[in-house]
Amino acid sequence: MGAKRKEQIENVLFTLPAVILVSATIYIPFILSGYYSLTKWNGISKQPEFIGFQNFVTIFTDASSNFLNSILFTTKYTVVFIIFANIFALALAVALTQKFKLANVMRGVFFIPYIMSMTIVGFIWKFIFSQGFAKLFEMTGWSWLNLSWLGNPNLAFYSVAFVGIWQSVGFYIVLYIAGLQAIPSDVLEAATVDGATGLRKFFSVTFPMLWPSVTTCVFMSLTNSLKVFDIILALTQGGPGKATASVTLEIYREAFQNNNYGLGSAESIVYFLFVLILTQVVLKAFNKRDVGL
Amino acid sequence: MKKINVLLLVCIFAAMLVSAVSAADIYMFIPSPEYADAINTLIEEYKTVAPDVTINYETTQSDYPTLLKAKINAGSTPDIFGSTSGKEIAVYLDYSYNFADEPAAEAMTDAVKGVMMSGDEVHGFAIKGNYFGLLYNKDIFEEVGITEFPKTFDGLKEAAEKIHEAGYQVFSDGFGEWWVFKHAWQTFFDAASDDPAALADAFIKGEAHIADYPVLYNNFFDFIDLVVKYGDAKPLESFLANEVADFAVGKSAIVVGQGAWVEADMLQINPDLHLGFVGYPVDDNPDHARVIGGSDQALRINKDSAVLQETLDFVNWWYTSDYGKAWFNNVAGVIPPVKGAEAPDMEVIKQGDALAESDGVAALSITYFTDASHQAFGETLQSYIAGTIDKDTACKQIEETWVKLEN
Repeated sequence: MGAKRKEQIENVLFTLPAVILVSATIYIPFILSGYYSLTKWNGISKQPEFIGFQNFVTIFTDASSNFLNSILFTTKYTVVFIIFANIFALALAVALTQKFKLANVMRGVFFIPYIMSMTIVGFIWKFIFSQGFAKLFEMTGWSWLNLSWLGNPNLAFYSVAFVGIWQSVGFYIVLYIAGLQAIPSDVLEAATVDGATGLRKFFSVTFPMLWPSVTTCVFMSLTNSLKVFDIILALTQGGPGKATASVTLEIYREAFQNNNYGLGSAESIVYFLFVLILTQVVLKAFNKRDVGL
Repeated sequence: MKKINVLLLVCIFAAMLVSAVSAADIYMFIPSPEYADAINTLIEEYKTVAPDVTINYETTQSDYPTLLKAKINAGSTPDIFGSTSGKEIAVYLDYSYNFADEPAAEAMTDAVKGVMMSGDEVHGFAIKGNYFGLLYNKDIFEEVGITEFPKTFDGLKEAAEKIHEAGYQVFSDGFGEWWVFKHAWQTFFDAASDDPAALADAFIKGEAHIADYPVLYNNFFDFIDLVVKYGDAKPLESFLANEVADFAVGKSAIVVGQGAWVEADMLQINPDLHLGFVGYPVDDNPDHARVIGGSDQALRINKDSAVLQETLDFVNWWYTSDYGKAWFNNVAGVIPPVKGAEAPDMEVIKQGDALAESDGVAALSITYFTDASHQAFGETLQSYIAGTIDKDTACKQIEETWVKLEN
């Protein structure tokens, strides 16, 4: 009895610091923003005014609001990001697990963008798109270099998505390499003995064995792309116009620039529910294939 | 023996009491880090005047309003903080002190004081006065045979064609920056009405429409079109840095949406640059082509400050002492916001002063709106330039923005 009691106290004591920190930085602000979402408050005045669910009504009825558009943008970005980040990462991971001289160096090269700050990556690419491309165009005359990659609303989407993928692909490569190295070589050898070669071996043996890595990578790329913020802030600030405004950027704008703290909180609650449902659906879909995360 | 001890104790307590009363910490958290060195010099000098007062100076560029709001909500409002002037004076009224009766308010120039008022109360002071207008390269104008910068909109069009034919890029537009639009727009807004403040009010109430004001509906949009036509090849990828650089090296002839603050950087790139500074030609009335002066930034004093008197003393000293008044020119190199101080030797300021003297200045109408709606305004015009929306949609969006974000 005494030992059990001691163990219980220990359990509480050891987790307490983490619980306090997580509560202070996540749960309490979350509850507070739940409260503020029911108020009209500019983030400055001393008295928030309680207005019930008016902010939520505004979100779905105000035609001039960009919130729903930004959800559309983020969804588009997420789809493009998940597909291309994973395809590139998997292809590169397969290439980098082959035995050749510079394999380790190349792994490092692809991982470097990931350890750089998103903001710095954004500013570097802003420079490349505007100044670098202009110089390259003068040298080569290739017309695609002369397009306004950040100034044209349609192209700006692809520029932002490209930089996002370029920056984070190294992270997914590492996960895929780990998965590939965990595949037992005897299975692959058996496939070779059975006469399977190249692509057939990859799609019938390697890929199914890699499924846990795929699940992890898809899920992580999903959550990361839904949160996209800093790279857009540094590259385009949501522009030109509002062409590349992601949801997180829109919420930040509403709360801190437009001084509608209440409305911004309401938007973040709506987006929280959106992400919650979406991730649960994706998780369920992957679990059906009988491989847990 | 006992008596001596008691005496000693009393002395110690008295000393502590005195030091507690006289030593004050003023917490100053303001934007505009470009003046950090100058302000540190000012603070050092103030140490010799009031050795007991310590000024903790902190500054940041990006996200200043967000950080300030966090501090205010955490209950640690800085003793001196910043906002924009004009409309935003009202936003922080809960926290800012009215120092209308202080010598500092008395010393302020009328152009600066005008945008710091809330009714009869003075709620802000400035680090600097400013000039807004068009900067142009005098050498290019001379080369293509234009002796005087046009004062009408049609004149500007002709000049642009001439410069274009001579092989120069006419405008550096900076349209990638949202704030360039508000600077370009305000002279047009001033020309739209004899009372731009009242017009701004009408727009905010939703009672006015851009289409009813030809100088806004036609001329302003024609101006944007003209700049896009003869400006940077990728207008929405033109930012402050390349605007300054292209103009300084003589690639482009006119800079849009800037003012006094870019001159120093340009001269650093090219010390031989011959700068001209004029007001925007907005319509066929040459009297409307005026430069704009004043200050778009305000420093505020926390009215609940524990060291209010010390803070006021510091601000009064800054604005009225001989050192403080000379500081604006000698140390910071800015247009003094105080009366009777010497101005720095810079072209924009000299020509601005001369134009203000001869033609008068137009109202600093960007201050009738807050930066929240200016940013949305800039984004709408970016969409217009990108071709995703037409002029009427842009006007409608702008009107909606003003009603939505300014109420």
